[in-house]
Amino acid sequence: MRRLFPLVEKEVKDLLRDPRIYIGLVIPVILMPLLGFLISTSMSSSIEAGARSVKIAVLDCDKTALSNTLLNLSVSLGADIVKIDVPDLEVAIGEARNLGSKALLVIRKGFENDLVNYRKASIEVYVVMESVSLASIGVYTSIEGMLTLSSKFFSNMLVSKLNPNISPDVVRDPFNISARSILKDKIIEVPPQIFFNQLLMGYSIMIPLLLLILSITVVQFAATATAVENEEKTLETLLTFPVTRYEILLAKLLGSSILAVIGSILFTGGFILYFNNMLSMQGFGFPIGNISQLLPSPPPESFILLAVSLILAILFVTSLGVAIGALSSDVRMANSLLVVVIVPIMVPSFLMMYGDLGTLPLALQLLVYALPTSYPIMIARDMMTSVPLETILGIPYSAALTVLVLYATSMLLTPEKLLTIQYGLRLRGARKRQIRELD
Amino acid sequence: MRAGSIVVVRNLVKRFGDLVAVDGVSLQIEKGEIYGLIGPNGAGKTTILRIMAALLLPTRGYVEILGYDAVKEASKIRPLISYLAEDAGTYRNLSGREYLSIVARIYFDSNVEASRAVEEAISISGLGERVDDRMKTYSKGMKRRLQIARALMTRPKLAILDEPTSGLDVFHAKHIREVISRHVKEGGTIVLSSHNMLEVEYLCTRVAFIHRGHVLFEGEPKKIKNELGASNLEEAFIEVASR
Repeated sequence: MRRLFPLVEKEVKDLLRDPRIYIGLVIPVILMPLLGFLISTSMSSSIEAGARSVKIAVLDCDKTALSNTLLNLSVSLGADIVKIDVPDLEVAIGEARNLGSKALLVIRKGFENDLVNYRKASIEVYVVMESVSLASIGVYTSIEGMLTLSSKFFSNMLVSKLNPNISPDVVRDPFNISARSILKDKIIEVPPQIFFNQLLMGYSIMIPLLLLILSITVVQFAATATAVENEEKTLETLLTFPVTRYEILLAKLLGSSILAVIGSILFTGGFILYFNNMLSMQGFGFPIGNISQLLPSPPPESFILLAVSLILAILFVTSLGVAIGALSSDVRMANSLLVVVIVPIMVPSFLMMYGDLGTLPLALQLLVYALPTSYPIMIARDMMTSVPLETILGIPYSAALTVLVLYATSMLLTPEKLLTIQYGLRLRGARKRQIRELD
Repeated sequence: MRAGSIVVVRNLVKRFGDLVAVDGVSLQIEKGEIYGLIGPNGAGKTTILRIMAALLLPTRGYVEILGYDAVKEASKIRPLISYLAEDAGTYRNLSGREYLSIVARIYFDSNVEASRAVEEAISISGLGERVDDRMKTYSKGMKRRLQIARALMTRPKLAILDEPTSGLDVFHAKHIREVISRHVKEGGTIVLSSHNMLEVEYLCTRVAFIHRGHVLFEGEPKKIKNELGASNLEEAFIEVASR
């Protein structure tokens, strides 16, 4: 094992200095927050622009004191109201567009009559959709806000008219609901909806996403590290050194895993910054992480299970990456082959992130349980509640499959096998080229 | 290392599917020799060298290196030999010194020995200060010199060199030939292959003509020339191959 350290050093240095790798590592941490900032800025400015310059055409068919009160209230709330006086809706819409209004508000006849008789009064809103953009949402959001405030004003007025001693708020919303969640006999001062949002975000999306990125990164690094040995013709020399094939394999696994962990940390950092930038937008924000302080910690054994399953998953995908790299003549070919491997690994992960495993067809369930990469995601998702027995039983199976893949990959690193396979592949390629030329 | 010949090859056959790359080759190399395999492309030279380096397994026959069976005792052979492939590449993102240091630490237990080996390799390669540059900036000749230095710095009992001077200019080729001669004088043994028959004639104590997987002729360069009435090994090879 003494010889392992120089081999790992070689892997880490060679990979870390490779522009194909380090650019991939650094890009998410720069690009994702930037992307989040740009998207949120563009969304905010579009919505603000839509709301700020909102010019509303109003067709007041009622022409009463109360309909006039509504219009005055709207003006006092910042709306740019343009009254139009035409006989029907179609003409009103045409007129509104000619005036450059982004919306048309129609107050139907009987508006005041309905209100004073305690019936719901009708108001129609027509928003001109100039493009499928956030500006159009901004227009509607602005009108909706204005109408909600007006509605509250009118309801206060009506309730006070009925009985000045009654609070209009109590009539509108008579219950004072305070919802709490119970998790493992502990009462948590958080409504279930927010609690589930947080759990969903943390354990069902963020952790699986992180594991997914780790799997993809590690398999890519391992394949690149091995394929580059073929591309640069260094593998043959490496195989003549006094090291075992297990040491070569282990060095590649460790080197790729170290960099994959660094890459995943950077990516997660970038991803969190992206989310923070996105969620900093008004109306989109909700606190992240506050609830985690209130939650009971998952049991220690679930962390052990997660660690074991994660190590197995990383060993599994890294071995596949080394095998793909060893069979590829260059990095480009390895990357093409990787797609074939990554997709079946990713599909079960997405299935688990967005659905309930038990509701899937049996074939898909078997696919999920067949892959060692599924287990960290299953455990992460269930560790707050309780990890099901079938997941625990799947770990020895996962370990056996990982050992099998490791052994098969180590066999591939036997010079005789590798050189013979590569010779065979080259021969096949040459024959195909010959046939093409003859054709 | 066991006593006796450095390399013993008996009735070696290597097939790749339908292709017979080596067909019944027998040869023996003694300590202190520079043994040359010469022949055209596809003759089987590289396959023989790869089998000696325990990279490939023979389909049939027996190969013994430094007293060890090349098939059953490959792990005992590897620390005692070094192999230079014809197209051996380098790690683009490592410096020459880093690469040499990594290899030295694989071969030597002691850091002192490893450092000595690195300094020796830097001297053999003649790279000077460029040894600290990344290898992707090296010319083909610089990479080759570094690889030869890597192969000889571990003081192998047997160095297997496939086309050691390919890609080198005349000055550096001469330098490498001198390094090879010195290595043998210091107690090493070398088996090499080359297209350059003049180089082989100058350097090797014995040569074998390889053609279509067979050894056509074997002996000391001077004796071969005399026996075949040729003025150089190139003429001698053509004479033998055309029979």
